Amino acid sequence: MPSLLGNIFKGWTDYSKGVEEGGHHEYEHMYAMVIDLDLCTGCNACSTACYAENNLAVVGEDKFGARQAMHWMRIERYFDEPDLDKTEATTDADTQSRGASFLPMMCQHCNAAPCEPVCPVGATYHTVDGLNAQVYNRCIGSRYCANNCPFRVRYFNFYDNAESWPAPMDQQLNPDLSVRSKGVMEKCSMCLQRTRAARDTAKREGRELKDGDIQTACQQTCPTSAILFGDLLDEDSAISKVWKNHQVKLGTYKQDKENPELRGYRIFEELNVDTKVLYLERVREV
Amino acid sequence: MSPDRRKRSPFPWIRTIMAVGVVGALIVLGGQMLEHERRGGESPMTESGPRVPNAVFPTDTFAGKDIAQPINYSHKLHAGDLGINCLYCHTYARRSKVAGIPPTSKCMGCHTAVATADDKPEIAKLSAMWESGQSPAWNKVNDMPDFVHFSHERHLQKFLFDNPDMNIQDSREVCAMCHGDMVEVGVAKKMRPLTMGFCNTCHENNDGPADCTRCHK
Repeated sequence: MPSLLGNIFKGWTDYSKGVEEGGHHEYEHMYAMVIDLDLCTGCNACSTACYAENNLAVVGEDKFGARQAMHWMRIERYFDEPDLDKTEATTDADTQSRGASFLPMMCQHCNAAPCEPVCPVGATYHTVDGLNAQVYNRCIGSRYCANNCPFRVRYFNFYDNAESWPAPMDQQLNPDLSVRSKGVMEKCSMCLQRTRAARDTAKREGRELKDGDIQTACQQTCPTSAILFGDLLDEDSAISKVWKNHQVKLGTYKQDKENPELRGYRIFEELNVDTKVLYLERVREV
Repeated sequence: MSPDRRKRSPFPWIRTIMAVGVVGALIVLGGQMLEHERRGGESPMTESGPRVPNAVFPTDTFAGKDIAQPINYSHKLHAGDLGINCLYCHTYARRSKVAGIPPTSKCMGCHTAVATADDKPEIAKLSAMWESGQSPAWNKVNDMPDFVHFSHERHLQKFLFDNPDMNIQDSREVCAMCHGDMVEVGVAKKMRPLTMGFCNTCHENNDGPADCTRCHK
């Protein structure tokens, strides 16, 4: 019933459900991710693939130092605290006896995303695919969302990035994605354009989307296959099984695990932003 | 004042509010009916033109500029008088995002046999290009901005191939929904606004997706 009345009724139904069930949302899919930190070697291939896939501007060292970087996916490095009791060669406080641990960090696509309610123009919202989308055409660059993001994974275009692709490098831009201009906020979209393409392909072949149809660029390029992407609403998808095996549930700020040894955790879970990226802790021999 | 009169409803304004509500509902319904009547339920493409069943037509029109083309190719002649199917030349529309401009070989497929270069200057141009191995540098008429994802394939699937009341011979009507009836013009012209409002109205009427990211990229 695509009419004014129909819209009013539907809007009212959605609204009342939202009041009753607290942030109810009609999802068709719930795309989520698993990142196994035990497999991650910190090689930055995912970050590089993201640059190539999503037309990311390369800002150069100075702007990077001025915190104007544009990497949708960054590799965070964590070093163990040096063991000062050791009397071996590696007691220098700035180094450590073992390597860093790495954590790929991109938009966590929170189900209760703090960036969404603060946007003055509604440029960021939740799609029916369960992704937190950024509509570049709507964005006016207020940067409220970036300031409200606990993960600091929203990046602002401070400059026109034309110099990032001097000819002939502009030939390698991805046509499935716009090249963002100055004054627009951008972030990881979990390769929305690939979701779109997969949906079109599935429609062409007259079938439903199945697990494995969509691969994000970072997942595709990860040499150790540390990244897994899929639909959480699909009971049989590989990703659902991982979430289930690690006894991590959505919609809570405190996981209730029977076995505390399980490695799965979500970052900043206590903020109750309900992130959809599951990290599997790194295991090290002591 | 009898005691039972004092048992008023806890909400004394209920009647007024209901009356206002009824009036409002009547206004809304009336507006809906007027709107429906204005559209005539479904809108004819032209005065006598056929329609796409199971679809609501966009009614907006747009007076496009005349865009000079290297060859004055007439849609009126080819699609109208000769009745060539749109999809014969714009082959890619049924399997890709873009409808595509036919390659010169497609033109020459006919023009080596019919209406050769002898007495028609425009076809002489075409033949000359064909001989020298260059393509006519056609100028773009319907341009989608870079931030819009529009798939010809999906729209043809919905309105033509998956539409039980449509035959592939009638592709012209489906194309006319967004391009206007190209039979009316000689050299191609933009005849529909192709703005977001235009797309959105049609999406609402035909149950297209309303999610921003389905079209915005």
